[in-house]
Amino acid sequence: MKCEEIGELLPDYLQGSLKTEQDDLVEQHIAECADCRQEVAIWKKLSLLPVEQPSAGSRERFEAMLRAYQTGRNDKASAGFERPKRAAVWNWLRSPVGAVAWSAALLVIGIFAGNYFGNRTATHSNTSQDEIAAMHTELANMKQMVVLSMLQQQSASERLQGVSFSRREDQLDPQVMSALVHTLRYDGSVDVRLAALDALSRHGAQPQVHKGVVDALQEQQSPLVQVALIDLMVEWRDPDAAQRLRNFVQTPNLNPTVKQRADWALSKLN
Amino acid sequence: MKEQERAETENDQAMKLAPDEDLMLEVRNGAGETLGVLFDRYHAPLYNFYSKLTGDRTLSEDLVQEVFLRILKYRQSYQPGTPFRAWIYQIARNARVDHYRKTPRHITFEPEMVAPVMPKDSAQQTEETELLHRALMQMPDEKREILILSRFQELKYDEIARLLGCELGTVKTRIHRAIQELRQNFKQIERGLAPREAGPAVVKQIPPRRFGNEV
Repeated sequence: MKCEEIGELLPDYLQGSLKTEQDDLVEQHIAECADCRQEVAIWKKLSLLPVEQPSAGSRERFEAMLRAYQTGRNDKASAGFERPKRAAVWNWLRSPVGAVAWSAALLVIGIFAGNYFGNRTATHSNTSQDEIAAMHTELANMKQMVVLSMLQQQSASERLQGVSFSRREDQLDPQVMSALVHTLRYDGSVDVRLAALDALSRHGAQPQVHKGVVDALQEQQSPLVQVALIDLMVEWRDPDAAQRLRNFVQTPNLNPTVKQRADWALSKLN
Repeated sequence: MKEQERAETENDQAMKLAPDEDLMLEVRNGAGETLGVLFDRYHAPLYNFYSKLTGDRTLSEDLVQEVFLRILKYRQSYQPGTPFRAWIYQIARNARVDHYRKTPRHITFEPEMVAPVMPKDSAQQTEETELLHRALMQMPDEKREILILSRFQELKYDEIARLLGCELGTVKTRIHRAIQELRQNFKQIERGLAPREAGPAVVKQIPPRRFGNEV
């Protein structure tokens, strides 16, 4: 048998779903043909690739999402103006007066339907675009809630994930922003603070982000974060930066590397 | 009180044994919390599907969350009688396509994305795993996907055919071609890496943090 014919049988052979005779045929061929043998071998070798475990935060994120979703739905349901209104309209349509009005309306619709027919598809796609837009807003809200809840987790790696999750959105929500600024200032882990700074650095166009970052310098203890903050201030050419840095270099017991960096930054800014 | 507790545990047990489809119908009828059971069943397989496909863990976790969010959103569109597994993988594929439509890829493959070294493996096996991973990542998306679906996600060929919207015969042909390509890639990489450096990997000095290029 040729390799081509064997090739047709091979996928079934690999899943063990061939009849005995065909199975034998394949095995016979494989014993003789190195190419086909290697194909079988590489398929088997794929089992070497490890089964990976999602992080522990995964379940929590899911639950936060589920809660957010259900809260959102309950809010909508308790607002509940829709149903009575709809019922009233329906009753009116079924009343005799309603029936006459309805028929008249149908007639008018019938007359104009032809004219509007061409435009109909356009209108339809508008509505569905509105729906999609509404869904996106809802989705963004939910993502914010998830970020906010993750930034409050006990474990640093989960807070880190919260920060990296916040970067997925192009627009920075004010609440998320202030949470990130808070993280930058007060988080116990240097890694999380650096990640927060990195996430904030993408939104330098927002004045509040600027202020949050510049304000954070005075309180930082970690040289790594201090240097990163100084670099960012230089990059942004922040108007306050020079004054802040001049105060900053006066800090007693400043790490020499950080001081050097701050001096360099001052020379850049002046 | 005790009666009630027992009833609740029994209910939990029943839920853990119920078929996916029944659970999904409950979700569809408004019992959002039942989705948790489906999450437990599917989040690890989906995560592996994505991580093998994209080589990016954070992205994979995000996409898994996205899948379950979509299930909630579109739960009304779940038709009774549809195999749930097929349905969730359909959503999973769409979620990935939509993601790349929004954020196009810059990097297709970086050596850093290779799974970390697993200490319990023998050195040779680790190296093979790494080669295999690279060979897989070098393949075009569609071929890698069909290999992953058939090899790791335990989907049957007819399920894959329905998922991809093609004939059963086409699926088999595609799988065979994908295996051929994987083997070629593996061979090439193996040859290319023959004079591999021994000794510990070079620890790169961590560069100072920079924002943008200008420092």
